[in-house]
Amino acid sequence: MASESNDGLATLWQGQPVTRIEISLDQLRWRARRFESRIHWRNLREYAAGALVVGVFGYYVWRIPAPLVRLGSMLVIVGGLFALRSLHVRGASGSAPVNMAFSSCLEFHRRQLERQRDLLRDVWTWYLLPFVPGLAVFLVGLLGWTLAQPNAPAHRQLIVGAFVATALGCGLVLAAVGRLNRWAARKLQREIDALAALEEKS
Amino acid sequence: MNVTVETAPTREAASRQDEMYREAAAAFAQTLQRLARGYESDADRRLDLLQEIHLALWQSFEGFDGRCSLRTWVYRVAHNVATSHVIRERRFNSRTLVGLDEIEPPSTGHDGERSADRRIVLEKLAHMIRSLTPVDRQVILSYLEGLDAASIAEITGISAGNVATKIHRIKLLLARRFHQGGHDGK
Repeated sequence: MASESNDGLATLWQGQPVTRIEISLDQLRWRARRFESRIHWRNLREYAAGALVVGVFGYYVWRIPAPLVRLGSMLVIVGGLFALRSLHVRGASGSAPVNMAFSSCLEFHRRQLERQRDLLRDVWTWYLLPFVPGLAVFLVGLLGWTLAQPNAPAHRQLIVGAFVATALGCGLVLAAVGRLNRWAARKLQREIDALAALEEKS
Repeated sequence: MNVTVETAPTREAASRQDEMYREAAAAFAQTLQRLARGYESDADRRLDLLQEIHLALWQSFEGFDGRCSLRTWVYRVAHNVATSHVIRERRFNSRTLVGLDEIEPPSTGHDGERSADRRIVLEKLAHMIRSLTPVDRQVILSYLEGLDAASIAEITGISAGNVATKIHRIKLLLARRFHQGGHDGK
């Protein structure tokens, strides 16, 4: 009885009125070009961000005559370029349309979630950590350089306090970002485990 | 200056790709529209998703090697594009998706509703489908399109036995939700 009714529901679903939407090959080619153009602009934005990091910290290397500040700035530039390269490589590893047909929906879904999980779980190693040595050396160098200025002794406590607060703030933000991402990665892992269990039963 | 010389085999492959796409689009145009409805409620975003599916389908035919039927190929590409859409949307939308076991019956309206308005029934059905996890959505949408358990298993990668179990649950759920005069089966 229920089955007959459900067959009716399937008939209703298949017979639902749909406005026929024609999509021509020219439209698809245009859309493919638009997609390529988006990738091109995304790459340009990444290069611009890289140029900004190089520009700002390159300026410090040039302008601030303290060895530690210069070393820290150079490390931040190297770390920033490494993080941008990682972002570019990881961002580009999406699935090609042909692979969508080669893998079952279950496998495809699991791989998508795994890719997202890896991005979140490893965010510390590929995105945050590269900046840490440079920023630490830069801040210590900047503190030493500031304290060495002629009028610094009068404000010594204030300067040290401001630097400690900045360092703590940076540390807290980095730790919070890492923690949030790990939490999101664990949530995804539970979904991946459920899909893997379904695959095992297959 | 880069000059791309299109050779005869490349042209032939491109033309074959176009031909395969035209054949698939003609045969599955309405199926794909219904499938998009099961994944996206907003009309504009649904159209965008549909175009994305068509684009992926066209691009996928560059590698079509006949390892599975045209229907399986089309369904896999369509569901996989739509699943990516769900995963992407989830970043901006905290709505929790549920499995067939957990889904709550809807608060339906009047007793005579089942026979009164097919549009409302369809809207409720689509809404229910969109609240399911991608795996269960793939199964229920394929079931509603009239595919048998073996075909659904080939598309989704779930064993035929598991698909049969899910279909059994779907049938019970649909019967409870849509064939009891709006009492939700309670």
